[in-house]
Amino acid sequence: MGKSRKKIQIVILLAVLILGGYAIGSTFFGKDRTGFLKVGAEPPEFTLADLDGSVRSLAEFKGKPVVVNFWGTFCEPCVREMPEFERQYEKWKDHNLVILAINLSEDTLTVNNFVNRFNLSYPILRDVNRQTERSYGLRQYPTTFFIKPDGTLMEVKVGGMLEKDIEERVERLLQL
Amino acid sequence: MLTVENTKCECGHQNAVGTVLCESCGKPLLKDLQQSDTPLEMRYDGVARRSQKSNQTVIDKIWSFFSSVKIAIYLIVITFLTAMLGTIYPQESTFINNFDPSTYYEQTYGLPGKLYYMLGLSHTYESWWFIGLLVMIGTSLVICSLDRVLPLYRALNKQQIRKHHQFISRQKTVFAADIGGDPKEWMTNFGTQLKRRGYKVHQEEGQGTALLAEKNRFSRWGPYINHIGLILFLLAILARSIPGWQMDAYVSVPDGDTVKIAGTNYYIKSEKFIIEFYTDDELPEQLQGKARAKNYETQAVLYACVSVCNDPLKEPVLEEVKRHNIIVNHPLVYDGLKLYQFDFDLKPRLNAVNPILEDKQSGEKYGPFYLPMKDSALQHKLGPFTLDLYANYMEFALNSEGKPTTLSREPNAPAFVFTVKGPGLKPEGEPYIYFPMQKDKVKFAQDTINREIADKIQIRVDGMENVDFSEATTHLNVRVDKALPYLWIGAVFSMLGLIMGSYWQHRRIWLRIDDGQLVLGAHTNKNWFGMRSDVAHALKKVGIEIDPKTLDNGGKNA
Amino acid sequence: MSLLDFSSDAFMVAFFLYCFAFLFYVIAIAGKKWSNRDPKQHEKRWGRIAFIVSTAGLVAHLTFFFTRWIGGKQIPTSNMYEFMTFLGMAIMIAYTIVYAMYRKPLLGMFAIPLTIIIVAYASVFPQEVQPLIPALNSVWLKVHVTTAALGEAFFAVGFAAGLMYLLRVINFTDKTKQARRAQFWVEFTLYSIIVIVGFIIAVFGFRFAGYEASFTQEKVLIDNKGQDSTIVDTVNYYLPPIVQPYNSQIVEFQSFLGMDKPLFEAPYWMNGVNAGRKLNTVVWSIIAGTLLYGVLRLILRKRLGAAIHPVMEGIDADDLDEISYRAIAIGFPIFTLGGLIFAMIWAEIAWGRFWGWDPKEVWALITWLFYSAYLHFRLSRGWQGLRSAWLAVIGFVIVLFTLIGVNLIIAGLHSYSGV
Repeated sequence: MGKSRKKIQIVILLAVLILGGYAIGSTFFGKDRTGFLKVGAEPPEFTLADLDGSVRSLAEFKGKPVVVNFWGTFCEPCVREMPEFERQYEKWKDHNLVILAINLSEDTLTVNNFVNRFNLSYPILRDVNRQTERSYGLRQYPTTFFIKPDGTLMEVKVGGMLEKDIEERVERLLQL
Repeated sequence: MLTVENTKCECGHQNAVGTVLCESCGKPLLKDLQQSDTPLEMRYDGVARRSQKSNQTVIDKIWSFFSSVKIAIYLIVITFLTAMLGTIYPQESTFINNFDPSTYYEQTYGLPGKLYYMLGLSHTYESWWFIGLLVMIGTSLVICSLDRVLPLYRALNKQQIRKHHQFISRQKTVFAADIGGDPKEWMTNFGTQLKRRGYKVHQEEGQGTALLAEKNRFSRWGPYINHIGLILFLLAILARSIPGWQMDAYVSVPDGDTVKIAGTNYYIKSEKFIIEFYTDDELPEQLQGKARAKNYETQAVLYACVSVCNDPLKEPVLEEVKRHNIIVNHPLVYDGLKLYQFDFDLKPRLNAVNPILEDKQSGEKYGPFYLPMKDSALQHKLGPFTLDLYANYMEFALNSEGKPTTLSREPNAPAFVFTVKGPGLKPEGEPYIYFPMQKDKVKFAQDTINREIADKIQIRVDGMENVDFSEATTHLNVRVDKALPYLWIGAVFSMLGLIMGSYWQHRRIWLRIDDGQLVLGAHTNKNWFGMRSDVAHALKKVGIEIDPKTLDNGGKNA
Repeated sequence: MSLLDFSSDAFMVAFFLYCFAFLFYVIAIAGKKWSNRDPKQHEKRWGRIAFIVSTAGLVAHLTFFFTRWIGGKQIPTSNMYEFMTFLGMAIMIAYTIVYAMYRKPLLGMFAIPLTIIIVAYASVFPQEVQPLIPALNSVWLKVHVTTAALGEAFFAVGFAAGLMYLLRVINFTDKTKQARRAQFWVEFTLYSIIVIVGFIIAVFGFRFAGYEASFTQEKVLIDNKGQDSTIVDTVNYYLPPIVQPYNSQIVEFQSFLGMDKPLFEAPYWMNGVNAGRKLNTVVWSIIAGTLLYGVLRLILRKRLGAAIHPVMEGIDADDLDEISYRAIAIGFPIFTLGGLIFAMIWAEIAWGRFWGWDPKEVWALITWLFYSAYLHFRLSRGWQGLRSAWLAVIGFVIVLFTLIGVNLIIAGLHSYSGV
């Protein structure tokens, strides 16, 4: 009786340890209740069309520093930021900087008119039915995600930025 | 406290360490217990619980910690006390969006709110310590039950009919008397009476002067079946954290739209949202005039994507899989996916108009042409006229520099700017701004902006049949919960065990007659009142009339 | 006469029959010491009369319930008035079942006033049949509410027997520290019951007098576009406002005993106009209850517990202990089924989640955990008699808080009660 009894005890306690540890552990690593992405987390994948009709996904830029910016023509601070991003892009694109500007599910004509007006050269991606913006837990516009070459988030900036704010962050991103 | 020696009873039975009452004859084994004459503690029939051992290793110690009912009770008490804390302020999980807990609690409730948030009480039920308590309760359920049910099973399975005199006379319900005549015959007669009350009667072979009557033994297993159910229930809850087993999302669908359900391969279309209010004669006086919803439903169609599902350049190929009117309490259910009516929004949304172009000089009308608010065709040919869409705005406004802009991406005040070419107009075309909504036409003075072209042509809608709008937007809650069946199985077991253990009681009566002297002892795990009335009733039938209450030997009412 | 009117009449009949039944129980017990009679015979006779009257009351109550069901075309458990009257009825059913088992008339002396108080409390709420909002239109909800109420009714009977046990065994002449503490808490329990009675009296008193006052409260809301809008909430008081809502203006104020403006304002964290009104009601209940308690003390010239104690003499304390335990043991599975399992089934069907940690759900769970701790204390730790009786009393306080307190306090301070 003694030996098998001991075995049963150990098996049960181990099971408790694993299941209980999993249950308690998942309270620490569960998704943030607020839906915000946390610094250090891997941002959700997306596959979206750009204005030329080719398909871009986040995964293909792995290993490069990526700036993902959500914008819309209806949002004044977003509009103000766009030429600044353009200048930064021109400045750093040889250093492998990638800027992906995801439009907030607007009309094709509206986006085209806007991009032509500012003569933007970095990829403008078209979100469909707000799916990508939802998966990123967006609350306000603009919101910019700075993604390190290893694919994790360096910073989430909610609200508009001045050019020097963008530059400072891009430089930090490039040093990684 | 527990002595290793002296586990052999005088009846010759070798008992396990920790046994209180001899497993065979029931004689108390502990010295101090033998000398007293108070009613015996009959819990688990006095058998040794598995965890009671003298030299303990770490594993033994952990085991006996969780094996203690005292610890189990403490865990229950701590759990409900801490659960109370979580109800002081609303939990974070009650808010759906646009909510930042780090500022909300302080702003709404001041300092107590800030403390509440900082202590983590704003998500009490997801906190590591609360889950930890539940895990410990689960562990305790497993170990406590295991430690008790096996010895109890053994004890009840091999019961001795003839019990020790002390064992019988120290039960909580006792009776003693002198019996005249043949003791075996008396015993058989008494046994028959007990049989009539549903007892299983075992009379000693041979002499026939000892008897054991028992009923509803199965009720002893009730608590353990209940515990098994609770363990299943807790495991099912744990299983919900397996990826893909659970989903809880919201989707908003305006009338007529088809929207992808994120994270699945499904698309949901709302053909129409309908709401019905109570009329005044259906309402009592104080509620009249208030819009009290009687019923609302979403006429929904569920599609599954069959090909081109993840190509942003092409439209996915959809196949209808289910059609259902979603009403509160009647969700759409398809293959584990459930869509619940959650909320609605009665703000109309303009989808498209079918306007005509009127040549004011000739009075000729051309069209109508289809003009959706979003992604319209860029060129429309109408008789001799050509309209090139130059710009469009969802919520038209003038910005700080006086230039046209849009305030949002919702068609709240749509505007279209065309370059119009045709008879009577400049060859390179003339700009024409068109506001589909009458209110905007007036507000932004369409005719003034358009200047002289306004005298030559006009774009307008003829009649409401040429306006397409969504009357409402329905908000649906999307759910997947694969652990549910296991959860209900757990609940059924738990309930079954509770009923078995609560509404039936295990009752046993022991008798022996020595030299014409009868002793009777009876034990039940609940409801002594019923136990006594069983005994008194059987005694009455064999000619001994007593007040049931006099059978009570004192002691506890467990 | 419409069916609903008939139903209301049946309700009044039930109420008065309960009152008479209570009176007869008091005669059955207290009259034992009257001269020229055999105490046993007296108790048996009057006990039977009282039981017959209380059963007649239950029949009238059932008539009320079913005629209202037919007349209103929906089972009457959908608002506070209907639920509380149902709970009162369930207590009478539970009491009748327990009486059939133990045949102890005395139990009625405590169970029936409990029903009377609950039924009177129910009458405070609006009594019209209200058409259902869609969320409440589910068979499972009805099954859940009725079953849970029946389970809770057994807990109420367990409470009545537990309180009787305490009044029976606690020595009110003992001066030791422990005894004094027990005396204090028994007295406090009785006082709390009187405060509830005080609430009912205050509400009906001022309703009869037609008292009214009203306030408005301005609230600035900022929507998600950052634009603010002002919302003006109005609240009507039917008790003279001692406490006005936080940050509110008087619209109408009938002066009461020379008081022509509120004495206090509700604290800032009680936002919402209704929170102020509820606080005012609580203040009035305590005032009325304390006055009533004072009058009783003056008449009896001793503490209520000490006054009731002698009446309980001659009752077997062990029987009370067992009745209390038995009632709870019968109620526990019913409550598990109704209060948790059926509730989960309904929640699953209505909201797509079987459990959402909503305060009401949490408090149902707390009730369940409390009573399971009670059962374990009793079975495994040998907590019987006094301790068990205290737990039965505390348990019912938790039940009442789950039923009433959660709606009144928790959901009242926050605005997320209704879905």
